[in-house]
Amino acid sequence: MPGAGAALDVGTTEARLVEVVGAADGAACELLPHPAAEAHASARTTRHRRITGTVDAGAPVPLPSPMSSAAIEVRDLRMTYGAVEAVRGIDLDVATGEVFGFLGPNGAGKTTTIEILEGYRPRTAGEVSVLGVDPAHPTREWRDRLGFVLQSCELDPLLTVRETLSLFAGFYTRPRPVDEVIQLVGLHDKRDARIGRLSGGQRRRADVGVALVGDPELVFLDEPTTGFDPAARREAWSMIEGLKALGKTVFLTTHYMDEAQHLADRVAILRAGRIVALGRPDELGEGLRAETIVTFRSPAAAELASLRTTVDAAAENVGDLTTIRAADPQALLRRLLAWADEHRVTLEHLEVRRPDLEDVFLELVGDDAPGDGAAGGGSRA
Amino acid sequence: MRPATAPRAVDLVRDLRILLRQTRYALVATIRNSRSVVFGIVFPVILLIMFNSIFSSGKNSTDTFHHHSVSTRAYFTAGLAAYAIMLQGFSTLAVAVTTQRESGQLKRLRGTPMRSWTFIAAHMLRTIVFAIAMVVALLAIGRIAFQVHVSGSAVAGVAVYVALGTAAMATLGMAITAYTPTVDAASSVGPFTAVILSFVSGIFIPVSALPDWLSNVGHVFPLAPLADGMQRAVTGVGGGTGVTEHDVVLLAVWGAVGLVVAARRFRWVPQGVGA
Repeated sequence: MPGAGAALDVGTTEARLVEVVGAADGAACELLPHPAAEAHASARTTRHRRITGTVDAGAPVPLPSPMSSAAIEVRDLRMTYGAVEAVRGIDLDVATGEVFGFLGPNGAGKTTTIEILEGYRPRTAGEVSVLGVDPAHPTREWRDRLGFVLQSCELDPLLTVRETLSLFAGFYTRPRPVDEVIQLVGLHDKRDARIGRLSGGQRRRADVGVALVGDPELVFLDEPTTGFDPAARREAWSMIEGLKALGKTVFLTTHYMDEAQHLADRVAILRAGRIVALGRPDELGEGLRAETIVTFRSPAAAELASLRTTVDAAAENVGDLTTIRAADPQALLRRLLAWADEHRVTLEHLEVRRPDLEDVFLELVGDDAPGDGAAGGGSRA
Repeated sequence: MRPATAPRAVDLVRDLRILLRQTRYALVATIRNSRSVVFGIVFPVILLIMFNSIFSSGKNSTDTFHHHSVSTRAYFTAGLAAYAIMLQGFSTLAVAVTTQRESGQLKRLRGTPMRSWTFIAAHMLRTIVFAIAMVVALLAIGRIAFQVHVSGSAVAGVAVYVALGTAAMATLGMAITAYTPTVDAASSVGPFTAVILSFVSGIFIPVSALPDWLSNVGHVFPLAPLADGMQRAVTGVGGGTGVTEHDVVLLAVWGAVGLVVAARRFRWVPQGVGA
């Protein structure tokens, strides 16, 4: 659950965020799991599901467009580059206040889609509404309500953190105080350092700061933690949770399934320009979720053959691990342990677990998946 | 909720504020960029000192310019001021804008409520500030170290050429970024063009020493009328402001060409390979 793991690692960041968030809202917002907040979030998700694509007069948050209670609405979005169909009919709704994870292997159409939503790219067909506005016709007022982090750092390396944020703050009608944003992204010690002299993780945080300085209602984060070390990622997660606590809508793309699992209320998995799964991270992939995964270090080849004939024919060998999926794990384990005793085999690294989002992702995107889950962020189209 | 539309005057005040802030940070970034400091600021000063020290005495101390005998030092000082304007307006600007575009900074700016014109105007203002500062510095060095005196009426002429020359060079600098897909391309084209044109425009070598055909080639391009105008004003040829119709029209035409190309072809997204 959000915050629980991060709290131990980055207690100071958490405290700082709580402080800032609390100050901004005039209320004690907590980043750690909060029963009321969770209930609210799930109620919102339920409501969202029920009313998808329709008018909801009773929306709790006043919205600029009377036509829509969703922050983002997409219907049959298509984008073709010459003969290449990068996006082949996407439908999705992102509710106000939701953290939405947009996942997929490189080349699945993530960046194309996000750039259409941000107003950077025209589209070939389909209907799109972002905060009630068609991003093909962006207006200044609309841009005033959006924040975004693009794939790579695009800030002037010669300006300091403070100068950069102050420059960008000037573009917006209701910016957040620059010093508050510097605190929020944890760069207080580096506020007078030039962007070009920051580490990759610090630069990305400055980038996120720029996305937040206009106090946007909706934030697009395109792979915000690519290249981060584990501690920096945890800090970034806390920051994104802070956004949620502030009521912002977040549209997030990431290569890291644990990140999506941790942060997103709902995720969509994109493959070859189509959404192949959409739902809450812990509910995605129903068929696979019903199974249990048993893994252990692979025994010798001869034993493996015997294992396949007596225990489970579908035992898979991936690397030096053997994986068996079972709808009935008890029966499987009984057979497996009996076999191990009989053949005097020690099942090293034996593990029994429920499938997580990464298993679902790999199952759904199949061969399109990058070899390394953290593979580089240079994808286009 | 925010108002859907702000009154026009409020909008303009807001944009002018943005413009001032952008100009300030553009100036700061230029000062911090070692390449733009070395090539745009230090280099012309070194050239001024070298040229005026080399051509300091004897038969080199005077030169023939528009059928008059003029001080070589005044001639070089004026020409190098024109060279500095080109470096600031054309070369430094083209490299800075291409760098910002190729690193995705322009794309990022484009996604904010910033108006495009404030970005362009901030670069123009930055260029004007540096161009004026360079001309003032070079003329001051000329006066203090090399006894180059600029008469009262000549100051007016210099002002006209600084204004017109900076405007023309800056619009051309914006325009050329449409043809420099990478930072490497911009850093080659910018300074290279300035050096080549300086040779054929009577800046590094007096026009009197150039073969006619080379000088004719030079006079097609905008650096020649800028240098000629500055040299007329500072050397005092003709005794007045040194402003001639020919030089002014040629600069204005080049400025207009730059403006049209920049308006039609300027790009905000990275153009280079892999972008």
